[in-house]
Amino acid sequence: MNYHKNNIFEEIFRLYRDYGSRVKRLNEEGKKIIGYVCSFVPLEIIHASGCIPFRIRGDLNEPVTKADSILEPIICPYYRSCFELCLKERYNFLSGIVIPHACDSMVRSYSVWSYSLPYSYFHFVNVPTVCGESSFEFFNSELKTFIKSLERFLNTKITEDDLRRAIRIYNMNRDLIKNIYEFRKTSPPLISGTELIMTLIVGCSLPVEEANQLFDEVIKELKIRKSSPLRKGPRILIDGPCLDNIELIKLVEDLGGNVVADTICYGTRDQFPMTDETKNPIEALAERYLDKLNCPKTYRENKAGSFEGDIANRFWDIGKYAKQFNVDGAILYIYKYCDPFGFEVPARKAYYNSINVPLLHIEDIYSSGTIGQLRTRIQAFLEMIE
Amino acid sequence: MVDEKKDIKPKKRSTATRAAASIGPMVKEFITGTLKARAEGKQKLAYTFIVCHHDEILRAMDVVPLWTENFAGICGAKRDAERFLQRAESLGLSRSLCTYALCGIGFDQWREELGDMPPNAPWGGLARPDFMISSGQILCDPRTKWYQASQQFMPDVPIYNIDLPYPLFQRDRDHREVWDYYHKYIVKQLRGLISFLEEQTKKKMDYDRLSELVDLTDRTWNLIDETYSLRKAIPCPMGTGDAMNTMVPLCFMMATETAYNFFLDLKKELEEKIAKGEGEVENEKYRLMWGGGLPSWYALNDFNYFNSKGASFPVETTYRMVVNLNEMDIPQTNDPVEHIAWRWLGFWTFWYDKAKQRPDSEPDVERLINWIEEYKIDGVVMHEAFSCRTWHVGLLWQLHQLSKIYKPIPIFEIGKDGEKRKVYRELPSLVLESDIIDITSYSEVDTRNKIDAFIETLESIRLNRAN
Repeated sequence: MNYHKNNIFEEIFRLYRDYGSRVKRLNEEGKKIIGYVCSFVPLEIIHASGCIPFRIRGDLNEPVTKADSILEPIICPYYRSCFELCLKERYNFLSGIVIPHACDSMVRSYSVWSYSLPYSYFHFVNVPTVCGESSFEFFNSELKTFIKSLERFLNTKITEDDLRRAIRIYNMNRDLIKNIYEFRKTSPPLISGTELIMTLIVGCSLPVEEANQLFDEVIKELKIRKSSPLRKGPRILIDGPCLDNIELIKLVEDLGGNVVADTICYGTRDQFPMTDETKNPIEALAERYLDKLNCPKTYRENKAGSFEGDIANRFWDIGKYAKQFNVDGAILYIYKYCDPFGFEVPARKAYYNSINVPLLHIEDIYSSGTIGQLRTRIQAFLEMIE
Repeated sequence: MVDEKKDIKPKKRSTATRAAASIGPMVKEFITGTLKARAEGKQKLAYTFIVCHHDEILRAMDVVPLWTENFAGICGAKRDAERFLQRAESLGLSRSLCTYALCGIGFDQWREELGDMPPNAPWGGLARPDFMISSGQILCDPRTKWYQASQQFMPDVPIYNIDLPYPLFQRDRDHREVWDYYHKYIVKQLRGLISFLEEQTKKKMDYDRLSELVDLTDRTWNLIDETYSLRKAIPCPMGTGDAMNTMVPLCFMMATETAYNFFLDLKKELEEKIAKGEGEVENEKYRLMWGGGLPSWYALNDFNYFNSKGASFPVETTYRMVVNLNEMDIPQTNDPVEHIAWRWLGFWTFWYDKAKQRPDSEPDVERLINWIEEYKIDGVVMHEAFSCRTWHVGLLWQLHQLSKIYKPIPIFEIGKDGEKRKVYRELPSLVLESDIIDITSYSEVDTRNKIDAFIETLESIRLNRAN
């Protein structure tokens, strides 16, 4: 695919709007596409099998109608929207879906997904909740089971070399993303938060080789870009779980903020941790996905012996990126019914307080219907920190 | 929402069995005992959760478990959870999260702020722990996050988090292909817990005692299974309302002689009732299954309301956290820790093989089908508690799967005698909506209107069958 366009972001917007159009075409050409939700799915293994990983998104504008009769409204609304779209055949080019042990919403509804959707392959990756030595041993075995399961489904063999190649190309992908993040450091940033999140979302819908090519083009474009698409404004960090659309960030930027950093799943949480290429590939992947992904789902022992020390260890990424990207304020954006993030709110608030970064905490329900309320709250917050 | 005086003490639920009636004082004595133990300071006290299969380990180490879910349930049953929930909310915790945990965190924050129990704390309050044992498992996020959140207010209290996974059901896989490494991991996690407890208590584990307690627990499991199976009798001698009491020795007193003896007495009582033909309901008209969901602890009287309509509950999936070990296909071992790990895996995978044999079935669905048949069930009642994803996600889908088997039309089948006959397999269901302890989500009038409508449906099916 050729991404040499005059303005690469026009192409990115097209791919964002027609999310999945590229893999749909590849599927028509005979490629197998494996859908996934959540950052805990080891994409390298799917890539090594010859399939294309595709991140399933929800849709803020699509009301939940079909899922209502079989999936309770008390689960993560983002995840429920993803299920709704699958039921409505938005992703009927998928050959299968991989779901990890990330939260109760995923675990408890696994049967609902696997029995209700017509895909021929389903696999659950059981990611441990803790990071001890025995957890890594267990997770190594679990990754081997995932490999075997894909081999059985595809009637193929995944070799160590396949895994090493996949690790290398995904590391390249993450390096490119880090390079793009560098353009956020100027004030105002050379890339808007809206452009960046859109780029990252689109990247998750393409074969990684094509995503890398696309990111190369973005970097080229940014290098020659003379000025920021944004007026200078308060520099904002977005904290929270999976943000799979541009709406919140666009709203912040429409109101005069500059979104320059994040810890979200499409952003640094998922894209910054690298896989060690010198190690045995399975062990390296276990290390990346179990330890390096800083998600509240994983229990981290309080080794500091104090609350202050504990939150400094647990939320190191917030502090690091707040400093690196020189942020003026943060928005902690959490979905209703999200237990892993929800229980951390008091501790996160305390942490932001300790690093003197003003915080706006929002609980939302994954619907375009709440944009009006968000506008009022965000506007007030930006005025407060300006 | 109907205007109700929710702060008024509810009428005490009447029980069908003497055993269930004895639970209130038993729980009160248990809570008082933990406060006494705290005051004496001879034993270590641990916050922890039920269904972690670590009961024998705690008891063998003389650690006093403080069951935090139980305490939240007590607050709910006494309709005194709201002030703790509000305190948690004031910290920034959303009401959409597990309300057991919110109640516990609110209570902890208040107790730590005062350096004393919150005023008029239910049954004297929840003692301050020496340490907390959480468990990620694979079934409940709040179990990992709750104590971590509470630690903000008691940073000197350490946490040990045990990971207790089990292989999720996949139709195309035999779980035995993977359970060796699951077992190995669980054993290491449990041994890690033992090391932690040895460090905290400055005592070494007595493995002979542990083996005795594991044996006691196994016997108690089998005894409970035998006892609860007696409820298949018509009329049913004990319903789910009582089972929400008898879950106390099952979940909170496992690995004790008290629990074993309790179920010996209950079994005897049920046998006597069956011999006399005494049912939970005087004139049993409908046999219902509590097919999923934790109860609304503040509204247990609803079970009496069902009873008043002639409905009995011979079986429930909630808190039936044991199976008969003689029916469990797990490897034998003399090592008590290894046995606990196998029992854990055996319990969670118990219905897997059976589920694979039936099209559209799944372990939770399979359990429902089996019990519908064995207990001769006329309808299923479920409760969707808005704050708990652990036990309440998937219930609607389970009903959806059941509806593929139990259709509202007559079905012709060939009997053993070769005769073709018309049978009705319709199975109506009722989904109640509220919470476990957040009474603001509950309306007695709405709930009872739903129950009335459900009973009318059951009656109309009963009349159709009679015709």
